[in-house]
Amino acid sequence: MGRAFLIGTVAAILAVSSTFADSPNVTAVLSNSEVAVGETVELQIKVTGPGDARPPEEISIDGLEIHATGTSRQFEIHNFTTNSSVTYNYTVLPLQAGRFTIPPQTVRAGGKLLKTPELILNVADSAGRSSGARPSRGAQSQPVSARDLLFAELIVPKKVAYVGEIVPVQIRMGFDPRIRPRLIEPPEITGQGFTAQKLQQSGQTTETLNGRPYDVVTYKTAIAAARAGKFEIGPVTAKAQVIVPRARSAPRSRGRSPFDLFDLDDPFSDPFFSNPFAKMGERREVEIKSEPVALEVKPLPPNAPPSFSGAIGNFAMTTDAKPKSVQVGDPITVTTTISGRGNFDRVNAPVVEDERGWHKYPPSSKFKQDDEVGISGTKTFDTVFSPNEKKQTVPVLAFSYFDPAKEQYVALRSEPIAISVQGGVAAANVPSAQPGSPPPAAASRVGSATQPTTKPQDILYQLTDRPATAESFAPLYTRPIFWTAQLVPFLALIAFVGWKIRQTRIGNREARRIAALQHEAAELMHKLRRNAASPREYYAEASRVVRVKTALASRSGGIDPNAVDAETAADTFKLNSDSRDQLRRLFEQSDEWQYSGAHNGGTTISPENRREVLGLIENLK
Amino acid sequence: MKARAFQIAFLFCALATSSVLGQADVEFAKANQEYAQGHFKEAISGYETLVRAGQWSANVFYDLGNAYFRTGDFGRAVLNYERALVLEPHHPEATANLQIARDEAHALELQPGRLERYLEFASVNQYTVTAAVAFWIAAFCLAALVFTRRRSRATLTLLLVMLLISAGGIVSIWQLERGSKGSALAVVTGKDVQARLATADTANSVLALPPGSEVKILSTRGDWIYAALPNNLRGWIPAKNAERMRLL
Repeated sequence: MGRAFLIGTVAAILAVSSTFADSPNVTAVLSNSEVAVGETVELQIKVTGPGDARPPEEISIDGLEIHATGTSRQFEIHNFTTNSSVTYNYTVLPLQAGRFTIPPQTVRAGGKLLKTPELILNVADSAGRSSGARPSRGAQSQPVSARDLLFAELIVPKKVAYVGEIVPVQIRMGFDPRIRPRLIEPPEITGQGFTAQKLQQSGQTTETLNGRPYDVVTYKTAIAAARAGKFEIGPVTAKAQVIVPRARSAPRSRGRSPFDLFDLDDPFSDPFFSNPFAKMGERREVEIKSEPVALEVKPLPPNAPPSFSGAIGNFAMTTDAKPKSVQVGDPITVTTTISGRGNFDRVNAPVVEDERGWHKYPPSSKFKQDDEVGISGTKTFDTVFSPNEKKQTVPVLAFSYFDPAKEQYVALRSEPIAISVQGGVAAANVPSAQPGSPPPAAASRVGSATQPTTKPQDILYQLTDRPATAESFAPLYTRPIFWTAQLVPFLALIAFVGWKIRQTRIGNREARRIAALQHEAAELMHKLRRNAASPREYYAEASRVVRVKTALASRSGGIDPNAVDAETAADTFKLNSDSRDQLRRLFEQSDEWQYSGAHNGGTTISPENRREVLGLIENLK
Repeated sequence: MKARAFQIAFLFCALATSSVLGQADVEFAKANQEYAQGHFKEAISGYETLVRAGQWSANVFYDLGNAYFRTGDFGRAVLNYERALVLEPHHPEATANLQIARDEAHALELQPGRLERYLEFASVNQYTVTAAVAFWIAAFCLAALVFTRRRSRATLTLLLVMLLISAGGIVSIWQLERGSKGSALAVVTGKDVQARLATADTANSVLALPPGSEVKILSTRGDWIYAALPNNLRGWIPAKNAERMRLL
């Protein structure tokens, strides 16, 4: 029962709210009621309520261009109340000043006819604006397009110039960023009677003109008039591709605007611009054109200085020379720097006022520009001079130009630069000898610094002898013969090293033999002192110790211990007669015990004999 | 049999060599005769034939330089005098005539650096021999030191001195070879030659180079060479307007 009540209450509320929602109404507003001619305002007609609504197909008012730009829908649920609304957007473009009344418009919604309120739009005249949409920048500024899409202007800062004078020129091209322009033909200055330098793009900025943003591309160049007279510079023409919306779905029944470049009325009113993804645009090619600018060209005054080469502007000149101390005939590089602003293509090398005593070579030049178009910069000339005689200073250089600001010629002269020209190295005038004549000594170098080498010189005679073998320019270290010759010391070094290695090995073998003998002698002495051996063994070992010690002590080395006898040992150790006798007896007894065979058995050696033998052996040093 | 074949081959080579030398002598004498008769172009042709055949000698280049001088080609005259001096640095006639030709042409010379001027008291070949001899002496000293138990201080000192001399010789060779009179030296043979900032006839000029001027080739790009110029400048000149000093 309670649940049925609750459901009924909700249904009643929904019904009531639905009843409220079913009452459509319409409102209309302008985004701005005060505008100037050429500025657009937005008109919105909002229909709230269910069902489809049909906006006014056409709003036609004299002096205003009004056309639909799009539709938006909104749905809201608030406190169980659902609201839906449709907003119809229009762009209003005033074509003339005055007070305009937008009368009530009839809108059919929910089966009812609704009327919008009356709207008032005050349109002011566009004061200070040229006949186009582009805000004026000066006399040269001219509108090009349908006011707000794109424009071009040519800025020439001078009204009067001289023949040959470089006049900087600036070209500004502005595009509404929404049309996404692509320049397919760069701007070009048309006209006759002048030459223009290559156009240089100097920057891109975003500027707001009449409340509308523009991408402004600036180009710089310079022109120079070829003859006197009155000329028209320009117009500047260019071609660009811009994006415009395709044909609109909304019906159009009015005529084309005289300012519409693309036959699309005002492209900004297209929903494409508010939502580029809603509908694809298309590229169209448009021509941009500026207004021409008048320029009066005057001829240069007469009586130009002799060093005038056509330079017009404002320049300064500095000069330097290097080296400053030379011999007669040596080159001196004189560097002249001309800096300033003007037509540098007509700036030639300064002229030499007095070339006497100098040999001058053609100058070289290089130019370093300080701006985009080369109006200002520095031009450097390197001129090589060779003194033919003693000189105190380098030649004075002169350069002239015409200053259009002062309207007169200006002559510049270089400061005299002190140099030192040392002694003469000129060749003597050697007469040519007849071929085949005996060769005299080499031509001697005579003359002083004050003797210029003005006389023609002649070369020496022919040489008729020729070596049997040809010579080579190749340095010695690159010739095969040189590296082949290195084999000789290399092989000698190998032989030397081999010999040294062999010597070392031999020395090592002898050392090992000596060590073995020393070891053997020590062992035998140890046995002799132990007193445990038979006489035969004892004397054999004793004589062996003597032999080994003799072999070790011999200076000549390499003595075989087995070849040592008593005399050799005595001589080696330089024994006296007693010791020599003892040594002889020791060897005799050793031989006797070794070969007689008489004393085999248990005979022992007396301690006196043992001490005597040990004493003898230990004294062998 | 083999010995006989070797003898025949040796005899053949000797005959061929003497034939070539004899032919060169004839060509040289003929060119000299043409020069004496004032037929300088014919003389140039004869001397150039010898040069192309590799019969290089200081006198041939000197005579060729004289012939070019007589025809007014001072650039090639300077070139050939300098070639004669490369082969024979103390060639008095070539030295004298070179100076005359340079004066006539107002040729510019490359100035050697300070170190190069000091090193020029000896030639590259002399430095080469010195470095090689010092190197081998050092090698023997080192071998003696390695294989001797008692190392002599004198041997060690000699080793160090020889190594220093050898290294000094190598550095001198390197310095002279890359210097103003080194392997990259060339002489301007064309007339009205301009060294330019870039490889184009319209590029800005760096320096006007009279015939006979010396340049040092730094690199080559197509028909242009990048060269160090007199007065410490650098620039591009057409390759056809300069010839290398050394013939290889």
